[in-house]
Amino acid sequence: MKTDQTAAFLEKYNFWFKPQKGQKESHAALVDVSFEVQSGSFVLILGRSGSGKSTLALNLVGIYPDYFGGRNNGRILINHPKLGLVNRRDITADQRFRIVNMLFQNPEDQIVTLTVEDEVGFALENYQYEPTEIRRRIDLALDMVGLDGFQGRETLHLSGGEKQRVGLAAMLAMEPSVLILDEPTSNLDPAGTADVLDTIDRIRERLNLTVLVIEHEVDEVFDRVDAVLLVEDRRVMGPFEPRQFLEERGLQVRDQMGLWIPQASEVGLLLREQGNKLPGGIPLSGAELVEAIESSGMKISPQKPPEKGDNADYPGSRLSNPAIEFKGVSFGYAEQPVLENLNLSAQQNELLAIVGQNGSGKSTLASLCNGIEQPDSGTVFVDGIPTGDYSFEKLVRRVAYIFQVPEKQFVCSTVYDEIAHGLRTLGVEQDEIEQQTVKLLGTVRLLDRRDASPYVLSHGQKRRLSVAAMVVSKPKVVILDEPTFGQDYQQAQNLMQMLRDLANEGASVIFITHDMRLVAEYADRVAVLCDGKIIFNGQPEELFTTEEVLLRARLKPPSVAQFSARLLGYPVLTTQALIERIQGVSGG
Amino acid sequence: MASVSLSYKKGTSFFHRMTPFSKLLLVLSVSFVAIFNTNIYVGTGLFLFCFLLAVFLTGVSLRRYWAFGRIIVPFVLLLAVVFPFFYGGQATVGSDEVAIQTPVKDLTWGALGFGALLALRFLSLAIVGLAFSFTTHPTDLVQNLSKRGWDYRLIHAPVMGLILFPVFLELGREISVTQRIRDLGQNTNKLRRKWIRIKHLVFSMLVLGLRSGQTQAMALDIRGYGAHKTRTFIREVPKHQVGEIFAWIFFALSVIYLIIQFNPATMQWNIGS
Repeated sequence: MKTDQTAAFLEKYNFWFKPQKGQKESHAALVDVSFEVQSGSFVLILGRSGSGKSTLALNLVGIYPDYFGGRNNGRILINHPKLGLVNRRDITADQRFRIVNMLFQNPEDQIVTLTVEDEVGFALENYQYEPTEIRRRIDLALDMVGLDGFQGRETLHLSGGEKQRVGLAAMLAMEPSVLILDEPTSNLDPAGTADVLDTIDRIRERLNLTVLVIEHEVDEVFDRVDAVLLVEDRRVMGPFEPRQFLEERGLQVRDQMGLWIPQASEVGLLLREQGNKLPGGIPLSGAELVEAIESSGMKISPQKPPEKGDNADYPGSRLSNPAIEFKGVSFGYAEQPVLENLNLSAQQNELLAIVGQNGSGKSTLASLCNGIEQPDSGTVFVDGIPTGDYSFEKLVRRVAYIFQVPEKQFVCSTVYDEIAHGLRTLGVEQDEIEQQTVKLLGTVRLLDRRDASPYVLSHGQKRRLSVAAMVVSKPKVVILDEPTFGQDYQQAQNLMQMLRDLANEGASVIFITHDMRLVAEYADRVAVLCDGKIIFNGQPEELFTTEEVLLRARLKPPSVAQFSARLLGYPVLTTQALIERIQGVSGG
Repeated sequence: MASVSLSYKKGTSFFHRMTPFSKLLLVLSVSFVAIFNTNIYVGTGLFLFCFLLAVFLTGVSLRRYWAFGRIIVPFVLLLAVVFPFFYGGQATVGSDEVAIQTPVKDLTWGALGFGALLALRFLSLAIVGLAFSFTTHPTDLVQNLSKRGWDYRLIHAPVMGLILFPVFLELGREISVTQRIRDLGQNTNKLRRKWIRIKHLVFSMLVLGLRSGQTQAMALDIRGYGAHKTRTFIREVPKHQVGEIFAWIFFALSVIYLIIQFNPATMQWNIGS
C-alpha cells in the first residue's frame, strides 16, 4: 500500500527525440516534467493519443534516451533498495531495469522464449541468478498472476489474456519496485480485463509494488488508483487525488481534451451541474454513485423500461433488407471447427456489433463476409446473392473489411493516393477522383496531411484513413475489427459518428469489439458469438440483462448499464439517457 | 513453423538423453555424408541407419515421422523419377538430344541408381532432421551450446526465429489479403501486377517487421539480455557419456569416409564403375 517513501522523482525533466540525419532537432517531447510517485502507490497516467504518455514511460524506464537516443536534462531519481534515491544516470541499465520495468501494450511483442517457465525466468537467467532461486521466483510470480501450473505450457498457444499475465509474471519475477503498464487490457475481452486488473491489485498488496498504468478504459481503473497524472501537450500535470481530479477537471478533460472518464463520475458531474448535491463528492464507481443518489434524497423508484414501439429513435423501425446474411454457415481450420451452423443477418442502415471472448470466431466470421474464406457448409449472401457467385473483385467492392491494425491495409505511398486508389480501381474519371478524394480527406480531417506517408500518421489518423480508404467506393457492407482500439474518447466518438453517417446513407456497418461502452452507445443490434455459435442476437439493453449469456460469453455490461439497472430496475445505455430518466422519475 | 517448434516431445529415449551438441554433431555428420556420398551402397546404408535410429532410438512413432515427412515425399519421388533422365552422358550441355527425350529403354542401371541415390539422400536428411527436432527442445540447445562457449546472444537467435517466423508468416498473409481486397496493381498485366505486389509486400513487411522487431529488442533489453557475457539456466541439460561417444565415433567415421571418397576419379556419381 501507499507509503510516504518516494519511489520515483522527476525534477524539471526535459526530453528531445534524436533528430533524423540532416534534420534539426524538433521541439521537446517532454517539457519541464516534475512529479513524485510514492512507494506502493497505484498511479493512472491519462492523456489523449499521442500526448506523450508512452514517451514519459519509456523515459522513466530508460529506454529513452539510452536505447533510442535523444537528449535530456533535468533529473529522474529512483529509489534503489540499497542506496536510496539515486539519479537514474548513476546506475547501470541492468540495475535500473531491476528497479523500474515496463510491460508493453501488445503481449505478442514481448514474448521471447517458447515456454512459460523459460519466459518468466528469462531475465533472471540473464542476470545470472542461481537455478533454485530462479525456480522459486517463477513459481511465486506465476502463482501471483493466477497461472500456477502453466510452467510447461507453450507460449505460442496461450490466449491473449494469458500472454499478458505471463508478461506480467516475467516482470514480477525480477521483483522491481516500480512497474509501468502500457494499456495492459487493450487486447482483452471484458472478463480478461477484469482478471488482469484484479491480478494487479493482488500483486500490489502482496509486494508493495508501485504501479503506473497508462489506460484509456478508465471505468475499471479509477476507483483502484491512488493518483492521476495528466499528460497534455508534452507536459505532465499532477499527481492528483482521483476524486479531486474529477471534481475539478472531469468534464473539462472529457469535453476539451477528449478523454474517457468513468461513467459513474460523468453522471455525478452532470447531476451536480444541474444543481443536485451528491454526498461524498464525485463518485468513482457505480456502487458509489448508487449509494450517493440513494442518500441524496432524490426519489427514484424502479420503473418499467420504455416499450420499443414507443421509441421513435429505435433503429429497428427503419431497418430494411438484409445487406448480408449467413445461412447455416459452418467453417473450420484443418480439423478444428470455428463456426457451427451460424445464422445471422445485417440490415441496411444498421450498426451491428459482434462481441464475444478472445478466440470465439469473430474475425473468422468477418473473413467469410468478403470471400477471404469460403464456408465449409451453408451460404453467405450479399445482396441476396451467394458470395461464391461473385468474383472476388466484385465482392470486395460491395463488402469492405477494415483491419484492426490500419497499417496492414495501406497500399500507397501518400495519404491522398491511399483514398484515390479505391476510386481508380472503379475506373472513375480523374476530375471526379480529385473531387471525391479531397472531400473525403476533409471529412476525416486529413487534408493537411495529403502528401504524407500513411505510415507516419498518428494512430487516430491512421485509423481514420483506413476507414476512408475502404468506404470511398461506397460499399454496401462495412466490417471493422476493433474500430476504436487504442483511441481516446474524442477519436472514438468521431469515428463512430462517421460509421453512423455511413449507415444512414444506406450501408450496413458491422463492428467487432470488446468495448461494451461502444456497443451500448452505438450498436442498433448486437450478436454474441460463443464457441462458434451465435448465442444472442438482439438489442444491447436486452443483452445486458441476460445474465446467462453474459456469463457464458465472459462479457460485462458497461458501467452505466450496471448502475442504471440498480437505480431504475432496467439498464440504460448512455449517461445522458440515465440523467434524463433520473430527472424524469425524480421530477428534477 | 509453429508446428516445428511444437514438434518436440518429452521423452527418455537414447536420443532424448543425448546432449543437443551430440545430436547436432550426428546430424551434421549424416548431412555431409548424405550430400557428398556418391556410392549407392553407402547411401542405402546411411538411409537404413537413419531409419533404424528413428525407429529404435528416438521413442517417436513412425506415424509421427510420416505426419511431418510426407510433405517431402512427392519431391523425393520427383527426383528419383526425373533425374535418371539427366544422368551423365545421356544429355550434356550443347548436345542435340534433349534430356527428357532419353528413351526409357535406354536408361542404364547407373542412371536409375543416380535417381535412387538422390532420393535416399533427401530421405536420410529428412529422417535425421526430424529425429533431432522431435527430441531436442530449442531452449536446451541454446543452453548446451552456450555452455560449450558459444555466445548465448547468438545461439538464442533460432529460438527468436521460431517465435517470430509464424508472426511474419501471418503478417505476410494479411498483407497479401489486403492486396487482393484493394486490387493492388489493377489495370496492369499479370506480370507487372505481380511485381507491384511483391514490392509492396516487401516494403510493408519491412516497415511493420522492423517496428515489431524494435519492440522485441526492447523487450529483450529491459530483461537484461546481453547485460552479462554468460547467463545461468533454469534447467540442467544432463551429460550423456554414451551418446557423446556414439556421436564422436560417427563423426570420425564420416570424416574418414569423406576423405577417402573425395577423389576426383571416384566422383562419377556412378555405381560399380
